[in-house]
Amino acid sequence: MKKVKIAGCSAGWPDMMDPAIDAAKNSDAQYLAFDHLAELTMAILERQKAKRPDRGYIPDVIPLMRELLPIWKERRFKMVTNAGGANPEQCAEEVIKLAKSLGITGLRIGVITGDDLPIERVKELKAKGLKFKNYDNDEPDIDRVMDDLVAAYVYIGSDRVIEALDQGADLVIAGRLSDNSLFVGPFMYEFGWKYEDAYWDRIGAGVCTAHLLECGTWSCGTCSNFWAEVPEPWHSGAPICEMDENGESVISKVAGSGGLVRADTLKEHLVYEVHDPENYLMPDGIGVTTAVKLEDIGPNQVRISKLGDKPRGKPRPDTLKFCLAHADGYISEYTMIVPGPKAYDMAKRCEDFFYKRLDMVGVKPVETLVSFIGYNALYGPAAPPINYEPNELGVRFAIKTKTIQEARQARLQATLSWYAAGVGTAFGAPSEREVFALWPSLIPREEVPTKLEMREVK
Amino acid sequence: MAKKVRLSELALARSGDKGDISDIGLMAFNEKNYAIIKKQVTPQRVKEHFKDWVKGNVEIYEMPNVLSLEIVMHQALGGGATKTLRFDQTGKAMGNALLFMEVEAD
Repeated sequence: MKKVKIAGCSAGWPDMMDPAIDAAKNSDAQYLAFDHLAELTMAILERQKAKRPDRGYIPDVIPLMRELLPIWKERRFKMVTNAGGANPEQCAEEVIKLAKSLGITGLRIGVITGDDLPIERVKELKAKGLKFKNYDNDEPDIDRVMDDLVAAYVYIGSDRVIEALDQGADLVIAGRLSDNSLFVGPFMYEFGWKYEDAYWDRIGAGVCTAHLLECGTWSCGTCSNFWAEVPEPWHSGAPICEMDENGESVISKVAGSGGLVRADTLKEHLVYEVHDPENYLMPDGIGVTTAVKLEDIGPNQVRISKLGDKPRGKPRPDTLKFCLAHADGYISEYTMIVPGPKAYDMAKRCEDFFYKRLDMVGVKPVETLVSFIGYNALYGPAAPPINYEPNELGVRFAIKTKTIQEARQARLQATLSWYAAGVGTAFGAPSEREVFALWPSLIPREEVPTKLEMREVK
Repeated sequence: MAKKVRLSELALARSGDKGDISDIGLMAFNEKNYAIIKKQVTPQRVKEHFKDWVKGNVEIYEMPNVLSLEIVMHQALGGGATKTLRFDQTGKAMGNALLFMEVEAD
């Protein structure tokens, strides 16, 4: 039976680089997959590109490739990455420059574009009658924030990844390629799975398994409920999946690395951010996460198999996830630490001081949040009553305003609130930042033509 | 009378975000605990637990294959990671917060 080995080498930006280098050197994975993008990252990269046309990709790709390309020369694995961000062409250009400087030849790069829609294109689509409902707040269309749009990008699937691999790409560089497709693309290419009825079960298995891999070392016990049992997380291994043509797989990690792979640690990922477990919507297919079974078959080895007769997948959706980022005012923050005894009472006093001062200077923020670090900063109103005497408490003020001037003025009042505290209060460094809100929507697949360009380092 | 325990004695949690949605995977330690959480961790109780931090609907899905509940809370992150005023922008600790909820164990 045909099998393929793929390693999950990055979970975001930034991430540790050594698990990827370790997987390249010390495993026999045929594919290394790199996810670098979170929901907000594209908007940040878009802004960078607007200021400098030669930016807008994940810069870490360069030091990473500097380490990986010499290993690639010996081992010839394939790499798939979404480090292209808002500028896959430039990213490829930089990698080619680097490869030349390292004396690497014969590297074939597939560059995928088209996921990143210019604002003009959004306007065109609206003129055609398309509406972009906000799936967070059900607002029916984007008109209210149309003038404030800064970026619009579509979570694309594996179509072009498969094509690139078919054309002999050693490295596929994409922009907002969905994290999931970094893995599903290689599975589909290797096993010849098509977007057809005969394959949705296997593609669904690929979607569920990719979900376990896209968080890189997290699947090997970093950020885990089992953190206290995880050996040497500081050099945690990358997860390695050996997938077979029926969609069944074994997940392990690079030999000799730290970390922990158990059915338990993978279960933590299976339940992570999927919404409806029967319908895990991905661009390549819908995964049914309740149709797979996870079992420990050896130390750091977990088998992912089909549970009963239930199909593991359903046909891919007709629409793609479409994220529109728009400017949305400013947030300023300030944190200070009040000392005990009576730290809680002192913190309350500072909170009162802050709101009184805001009134006095006439600043009306859009929203405010005062929380006490050490008591309710993480849990908010779900924190149980304070029934202990903290040694100290952090007092954190967060303020949202329409203008940067108001953000500064409000933050100043927060800063001054330490006047209300006792001696021994420590004040840190305040800051303001511009806010980009995300408008999560959907777009018909056919409105997002993507493009593949093959390049070669001669 | 049934003994009240915190969810942390029955299950583990893992939470994450998509936009303004906070998802909590609540993983029971065993079948018995799974039965308890299935019955007692209801959308209404979850909303009561988080008070005004969860403004929208709560949906709960069952995952019998991993003895877990997938709890989907809408308008639960103060607008979503990029615009929330919360320190925990992506709601990574929302799962831990849920583990403070009390349920009746026998």
